[in-house]
Amino acid sequence: MSITAETAKAHAHDPAVLCCRAEAGITIEPANLEDPAIFDDLVDSGLLNLDGCLTIEEVLGAKLTKTCDSLAPLTVDVLDGVKAVSAPAEEEEVAEEEAAPVAAPVAPLPPHAAGGTLRIHIGEGKDINLEIPVGALGAGGAAVAEVPAGAEAVVAGAAAPAAEVEEEKVVRSLTRKHFNITEVKRGPETKIEGTTLYIREGIEAEVIADDDLVKDFHLEIITPDLYHTYSETVMDVQPIATKEGDSELGSGVTRVLDGVVMMLTGVDEGGVQIGEFGSSEGYLDENIMWGRPSCPDKGEIFIKGNIVIQEKTNMERRGPMAAHKAFDVITQEIREVMKKLDESLVADTEELKQVRRPGKKKVVIVKEIMGQGAMHDNFILPVEPVGVLGARANVDLGNVPVCVSPLEVLDGCIHALTCIGPASKEMSRHYWREPLVLEALHDPEVDLCGVVFVGSPQINAEKFYVSRRVGHTVEMMDADGAFVTTEGFGNNHIDFASHIEQIGMRGIPVVGMSYCAVQGALVVGNKYMQYMVDNNKSEAGIENEILGNNTLCQEDAIRALAMLKTAMAGEDVKAAEKKWNPNVKSTNVELIEDAYGKKIDLVGNEQELPMSEKRRLKYS
Amino acid sequence: MGKVQLLLRQHVGAPCAPCVEVGADVKKGTLIATPTGLGANIFSSVYGKVTEITDDSIIIEAADEQPDEFVPIDVPADATKLDMVKAAGIVGMGGAGFPTGVKLGIDLSATEMGEMDPEINPELPADFKIEHGYILVNAAECEPGLEHNIRQIEEQCDKVIAGIKYSMEITKADKCIIAIKKKNHKAIKTLQAALANELDIIMHLMPDIYPMGEERAVVRECLGVNLTTVQLPSAARSVVLNLETICKIAEAIDEKKPCISKNLTVRGKLVGGNEAHVFMDVPVGVSVGELIERAGGIDGKYGEIIMGGAFTGKSTEMDAPITKTTGGILVTVEFPDLHGANMGLLVCACGGSEERMRELAEKMNAKVVSVARCKQAIENKPGAPLKCLRPGNCPGQVKNNMQFKKDGCEYIVIGNCSDCSNTVMASGPKMGLKVFHQTDHAMRSVGHALYRSLKVSKQVSQDIDF
Repeated sequence: MSITAETAKAHAHDPAVLCCRAEAGITIEPANLEDPAIFDDLVDSGLLNLDGCLTIEEVLGAKLTKTCDSLAPLTVDVLDGVKAVSAPAEEEEVAEEEAAPVAAPVAPLPPHAAGGTLRIHIGEGKDINLEIPVGALGAGGAAVAEVPAGAEAVVAGAAAPAAEVEEEKVVRSLTRKHFNITEVKRGPETKIEGTTLYIREGIEAEVIADDDLVKDFHLEIITPDLYHTYSETVMDVQPIATKEGDSELGSGVTRVLDGVVMMLTGVDEGGVQIGEFGSSEGYLDENIMWGRPSCPDKGEIFIKGNIVIQEKTNMERRGPMAAHKAFDVITQEIREVMKKLDESLVADTEELKQVRRPGKKKVVIVKEIMGQGAMHDNFILPVEPVGVLGARANVDLGNVPVCVSPLEVLDGCIHALTCIGPASKEMSRHYWREPLVLEALHDPEVDLCGVVFVGSPQINAEKFYVSRRVGHTVEMMDADGAFVTTEGFGNNHIDFASHIEQIGMRGIPVVGMSYCAVQGALVVGNKYMQYMVDNNKSEAGIENEILGNNTLCQEDAIRALAMLKTAMAGEDVKAAEKKWNPNVKSTNVELIEDAYGKKIDLVGNEQELPMSEKRRLKYS
Repeated sequence: MGKVQLLLRQHVGAPCAPCVEVGADVKKGTLIATPTGLGANIFSSVYGKVTEITDDSIIIEAADEQPDEFVPIDVPADATKLDMVKAAGIVGMGGAGFPTGVKLGIDLSATEMGEMDPEINPELPADFKIEHGYILVNAAECEPGLEHNIRQIEEQCDKVIAGIKYSMEITKADKCIIAIKKKNHKAIKTLQAALANELDIIMHLMPDIYPMGEERAVVRECLGVNLTTVQLPSAARSVVLNLETICKIAEAIDEKKPCISKNLTVRGKLVGGNEAHVFMDVPVGVSVGELIERAGGIDGKYGEIIMGGAFTGKSTEMDAPITKTTGGILVTVEFPDLHGANMGLLVCACGGSEERMRELAEKMNAKVVSVARCKQAIENKPGAPLKCLRPGNCPGQVKNNMQFKKDGCEYIVIGNCSDCSNTVMASGPKMGLKVFHQTDHAMRSVGHALYRSLKVSKQVSQDIDF
């Protein structure tokens, strides 16, 4: 399509191609030129060859000397009066898709330190106190000179030592006491003896009695030798954890069982899997991506409850909600036992600290969670980690943004009810070990101020209602940068894009994270979506119903952080290719590895699993 | 002749209200319906008896004897020329049907030039002025295959000049430009001779591409300014009148003749060949079938009958009546059967509406899976007919082709102008899209080249060098 003067300016260094037949003698103006945004596809399909093609900047105002047809690249052979370029067009070697950081060849001098002069201008004001540590002034230039060339290429700008003087501040901490479980048995009462967990025989009846919609329930203990067991679709994977004493979620002490997880699976009475856009039923070992934040780790024991809910309530909110509530009867009974466990059984203690870093770039994580209704809802902030009691359903809260501390996230403040495509759904356990929260919390170069959960409503008007709230929330935080993550794909990408727009239009750089690749390609977009990280891991770029396969992992968090730092530093992040290209991710990973001098371990994908019949038939 | 059916709405505006009763005897020129809002008088086009009045038409059984005499329009002795045009019920005969009496109610000598949009007039100097008031005569006869406008110039040049002068007088225009395609050698020579001493009337020669007869295209070709889709020619200090309308103005003033007949071209898959049958002064209300019979009758199986031109006309039936705006009746060859293949529609302002294109897809037995709209096709008001921002100058089409490809189209139908069709062809076939033009079946039927690639220049020299 022909372009406007404004677009021509934005694409001044892009190739100039006639959108339509143009006759000899005309003067080239923007209306004669095709939009460069579509050239990748045209080149791919062989419709366009850009060899020798001049840039838009060069051809505007030049006179065409020969009649040329639509899609003819403009070259010196057919133009009179080609203009000289304003700046040499940079040719980058790397091709990036989810918009990867462009590495500077050597570490540039941080702008603040250049020349060693500190200039302060105050036009008008009163009561202004300036405290400038002497060290910061004198050492600037010298310190930079010692940076080995290329060492911090990607994040050079972000590391500007403007006010690096302030101390880290620990706002609060959360202690996790780990109890090891090596065996799970049934017995007359629920108890823990040593490393053996006993679950009361007959507890199933109480699960069924918990809600009218629960029609049947079976409990299975899946030990590693039973991984090749057939299962209905996995609705959730949850840590077994409880608060100690008067501790509130997100602070104090949490007790957690290691070596065992709760796993909820289910169907409705008609045998319909509880899920939308795919379900993960089948042999467990063929359908679970081991070790994902969402998933069980290999070697763990599953306390697997298979629930049957009233026919056709699988697509109503009350069905899956009843299943989760009823299943929590068992978890709660285990929690009660855990509270009484002797300290001598604590196998390991870890302390999670919520650290603020004043003076560093302030970042916020916005996590979009499902809230369309039906099976798409989440319980927010239960009393117990991933519990039910005390929590409010996201849909009941109107999907509006809810601000939580990073430690509340890691302490299980989200009980994930949603049953979106298994490969991209974030299970309850995902939040317990949310990689982006962990990476940002531990990154000495940024100041993570908090996490905002926002629901994804079903209706478009409501989507924009909540995204505008997100924009204002982030604005009043005075954040320097933001992440917006989402699970699932398709419908929720509308609000995902809108969140990014609302934050971006306030001048705050935003990195978006989602599974996209092939099947989840974004349905909408806006000009603020320039920093995108694709969570895809699948070989073919699809939702292949393998549990947790395409969820946000540490490697994605590392890439997102590097990209946001680059964006916040005002450095260039190369625009996305049109088509999904998995090489972009590997190029970015290499760039980051080079810049940080640290190896990034990449996780595997479904290719490591035994091939299920379903996967063979549907996805290969 | 049998039955004649006069529609109560043959113009832009509200339907007229009948002012005769069933059983009334009428003559050629008897006033039978009057406007209820924006509209124009409707007269009986024949001698006969009103046999039926329905919600949308008056039906007259024509008498066997049809003398040439007609009832002159009823105007007072001191009526102005504009009054006569209004009384005669003249509307835009080129197809638009806007009441001419309303259009001419303007003083071009006192009309200020409107503001030109710089976005679509990039080369226009800031201090550009149109120094005169203009009557622009649309003699482009742009719909391919039609010949009655050009024939009228060749045969009734005096009437054309008279109509122009009256129009200039009514609107106080001091100049007139006749926009005509350069390919019409004989008509141009005829006009050249007639205009030898007419210093204020000139010709502007146009290339043979579509669309040259679009109102704003005529303004652009003659005066060099692009109007927006909501601007009227008055913004360029001009009034655009179709050639046949000009002649009707002359008839109304010189002969007091009401607007009761129409010139048209009948053409296509007819017994005796596909040459144009030009019929002058056909009584309004005569059936399509009767005209096809006069032209020799349909030759075997056919695809559809189009009333109007191939680009902007609609499919019609044998018993439908012609109106004051009917310019063509085209009988087409049969449609190809695409056996339910996936099809994309490229809707634009130059061709048929989306509804018309869907009709064509159905007639070709294709399944519409994708609809794109040309970037320049502007809907001024929701539901209003599309208007092209820069008629005849393509904005690029490859993005639409990419959409069609993505949506799994095997075929596409386009209704685009010559330039846009050329652009579609630059990428469509290479992408594996099979391209039909909305006019293909009609072009095959009249022996005209199909609209695909553009081989001729959009510029022609103004020299009469033939």
